[in-house]
Amino acid sequence: MSDYVVSVVSNMGMIAFIALSAYILLVIGEISFGQQAYFGIGAYISGVLTAMWGWPLWLAMVLGCAVAGSAALIIGSLTLRLSGIYFAIATLSFAEMIRLGLLSVHVQVEIDGELVGPEGAEGFGDIRWIFENDVTPFEFMTVIYVLLVGVLTILFWVERSRLGTVIRMVGSDPLLAQAQGIDVVFYRLLATVFAGIIAGLGGSLYAHFATYIEPNVFNVMLGVHSLAYGLIGGLGTAVGPLIGVGLDIGFLEGVRVFQGYRMIAFGGLVAVLLIFMPRGILDEERVHRIKRWLERS
Amino acid sequence: MLKLENLSKHFGGVRAVDDLSIEVNRGEVFGLIGPNGSGKSTIVNLICGVYTPTAGSIRLLGNEISGLTPNRRLVAGVARTFQNIRLFDDMPVWKNLWVAQNSTEDANKHNLLRRWFGGAGSDRDEIDALLEFSGLGGRGGELAGSLAFGEQRRLELARAVAAKPQLLLLDEPAAGMNFDEIKDLAKRIKGLREQDMSIILVEHIMELVMGVTDRIAVLNFGGKIAEGTPDEIQKSSVVQEAYLGKPQDVA
Ligand SMILES: Nc1ncnc2c1ncn2[C@@H]1O[C@H](COP(=O)(O)OP(=O)(O)OP(=O)(O)O)[C@@H](O)[C@H]1O
Ligand SMILES: [Mg+2]
Repeated sequence: MSDYVVSVVSNMGMIAFIALSAYILLVIGEISFGQQAYFGIGAYISGVLTAMWGWPLWLAMVLGCAVAGSAALIIGSLTLRLSGIYFAIATLSFAEMIRLGLLSVHVQVEIDGELVGPEGAEGFGDIRWIFENDVTPFEFMTVIYVLLVGVLTILFWVERSRLGTVIRMVGSDPLLAQAQGIDVVFYRLLATVFAGIIAGLGGSLYAHFATYIEPNVFNVMLGVHSLAYGLIGGLGTAVGPLIGVGLDIGFLEGVRVFQGYRMIAFGGLVAVLLIFMPRGILDEERVHRIKRWLERS
Repeated sequence: MLKLENLSKHFGGVRAVDDLSIEVNRGEVFGLIGPNGSGKSTIVNLICGVYTPTAGSIRLLGNEISGLTPNRRLVAGVARTFQNIRLFDDMPVWKNLWVAQNSTEDANKHNLLRRWFGGAGSDRDEIDALLEFSGLGGRGGELAGSLAFGEQRRLELARAVAAKPQLLLLDEPAAGMNFDEIKDLAKRIKGLREQDMSIILVEHIMELVMGVTDRIAVLNFGGKIAEGTPDEIQKSSVVQEAYLGKPQDVA
């Protein structure tokens, strides 16, 4: 694999995490413009832990996820009382607050004669874990995909379970869900925290793959894209957002013909799909039909 | 069993339910009738917690439930069907029953992990029985949204029954049904009554109401204008006036 292919494929893998995160919110019936915040938190926390404090990567990632999940718990309990456009705006506001907050974080320490740490808008470079441990980009890509498969396995397992059914019910008709004894508030929050953790995981991978991060990477465009991936690929299965990622990054960006026109092509694709397939290519009904077909044959 | 005392619900100036008191006994089928807009659905929504009352109390088995959220009320023993069919259309029929069936345990958060991930295996028999009950045997795998109208109505009833409620609220369950379907529904309601379930039946179709209820309350403008057995209600002149207008109005 060429360096270019490795980097595009790795990018797809990492973006898949935040796309899955936004997808989970879509499944509970909410549009979040703020999942990039948890991706950013995961990136910064784990980056600080490995680069400044010398923690092992896995432990730094666990903590990155934990902090992202806690942030989702706090922001979720504040925003989930809202719905529709109000929820969307509130999540965007919190995400922007976090991004602006990161812009004013200046904590650097001297390591081997060099200053390391987040330096506001200047960014946070020298997240050297990948070099110090002689991990090649190809190996790191493998790590990304192993974790992605892990997350997908959990999602598929949940989807088949009663928990997954309950969460879908909460998203599709909260009043009816309540009438069946489902504690809607609890399940919405549970899904939100899980979505925060997944985004945090993607972010902590991203920091160590890119080795340099800055607050503006985690701006609203990242959130909008992750939303669009689920809407394109479909909300009936976790495969949906992956199709979205594949189409956008793999196809539009990977195939150089579209270079420069990617955003236009992508925007057009989203618009057309939303009109003809409002819940994406693999929506609930198609997923149901595919499942029944697979069971029969 | 259920006791509504001086219950009121006002929407701005509209007194949808106004100072209403009703008592429903265990194992009784209680009819609620009245012209359009007389407050029947509002009462159902008050009992199952969609609305909070403006005033008054709702007691179930002696406990005040008007402060509970709708999901807590299901745990307390109140299940319902909707005036406009409400199902999870893009889920298979069996999943519509699966969650309702054990939701009381879920809501109490007992053994959550086992409930979440235990799979449907042990619930299968019960789901099959519910499917049989609703005449949908063998069709659990179809999408609820793809069922015919009458089948959806039956599935809704099965879903409410699945929660094993003490009190079942049926809001116009026969709307849009043909004669045979109504007869079939009457049989089901009588069957549930035999299992000691209390039922509040909101209905416009008089053949059904008169045929299955033990007692009936007649509403008009959110208040109760008459209460009695089906026989008494049929003879009452107040009721005929509410439905048809006073004879002198017509003249
Ligand atoms: N959410 C609401 N907001 C405002 N007004 C409402 C609301 N719900 C009901 N109402 C009003 O309260 C009154 C009673 O309505 P309700 O739906 O309870 O009547 P109903 O007896 O069920 O009628 P129908 O036989 O047509 O179903 C009506 O005047 C209605 O317009
Ligand atoms: Mg009504």
